[in-house]
Amino acid sequence: MSVALAAALMSWPAPAQQHGDPGIGGTWEASFARGGNPGARSAQAPPPLKPELMAQWQALQAEIRAANERGEPFATAATFCLPQGVPAMMGGGGPFPTEILLSPGQVTIIQEAYNQVRRIYLGKAQLPIEDVEPGFYGRSVARWEGDTLVVETIGIKESVRYREVPHTLDMRIIERIRRVEPDVLWDEVTIEDPAVLEEPWSFTFVLRRLPDYEMMEYVCEDNREYADSAGVTRLRIETD
Amino acid sequence: MLISGLGCATAWAHHSFAIFDHSQTYTLNGTVLSFQWTNPHGYIDLDVEEGPAGIERFSIELTSINMLRRSGWRSSDVKQGDHVTAIVAPLLSGEQGGLLLELIMQDGRKLVPPVPAIDSFERTP
Repeated sequence: MSVALAAALMSWPAPAQQHGDPGIGGTWEASFARGGNPGARSAQAPPPLKPELMAQWQALQAEIRAANERGEPFATAATFCLPQGVPAMMGGGGPFPTEILLSPGQVTIIQEAYNQVRRIYLGKAQLPIEDVEPGFYGRSVARWEGDTLVVETIGIKESVRYREVPHTLDMRIIERIRRVEPDVLWDEVTIEDPAVLEEPWSFTFVLRRLPDYEMMEYVCEDNREYADSAGVTRLRIETD
Repeated sequence: MLISGLGCATAWAHHSFAIFDHSQTYTLNGTVLSFQWTNPHGYIDLDVEEGPAGIERFSIELTSINMLRRSGWRSSDVKQGDHVTAIVAPLLSGEQGGLLLELIMQDGRKLVPPVPAIDSFERTP
């Protein structure tokens, strides 16, 4: 074993389980049922936005519902083949599975939809927010607390929103990822952003193990759905 | 206990099916011009021989091909020149396109795409 690898392994405060994986590795899919898991905080409860922002957010939700009922849904990031980013990709992949890979010094999370990849560094310090270029996945560092992977993410660009909830570049996302049952994984998300939130916003993504699943590629290749000049979703009609 | 019914809809809502009519279906008999096996949606372009008046060519959207594959579809299931019957939820805009709910091949084989809440689309003759 190389000196560098040995040093990396020694600096990785791994839990007791073999290979440092307390069973979170593998393929998973989103589960919308809490089942025997009381205590999961709904990811669909209203966010604790400050009153003025809350009013704007609720008005937007009403507009989205009305547009859907009219049959003129607003185009979304997906219309433009854009990935969901953090944290939405952890639970918003809908029918698309998630793969968690553990390696020395890094946990890698792949969401099948849009081939989304998060790299989470173990044993590295977080950077000051101003040193992280805002993006879809930000910069994530983590540590093990027993069998729980505690992840801190910063650097999510303002246009990357979960449930259309606005945030600032100072947003900090804390996730506690652990198995609560042999085949049930929780990602307890807490979003801290005092400029827009009354209090930290916490919710739980629940994932179920999908044994032996082989992840598929997902390239957004030719979406015939597009946004018209009013931002409404349309379908391109082939005529020849 | 469910997180909520709405939760399911919202969590899956990086794609909306709201552009399609949930109150009627068209049954289209025709010849496949192309079967596009792509994400985020597959597509079938159909030369319509029998269907509602005025429809000659129809652009049919399918779910993500990853969802299709997981429910048993293959990219080789449909080929240019195949004669098929497609049951579709038409676009609300009135344009010549819709969402595939069921595809019946010439040999009688029935292919159903895994459209979420497929029962919310009312079937009409």
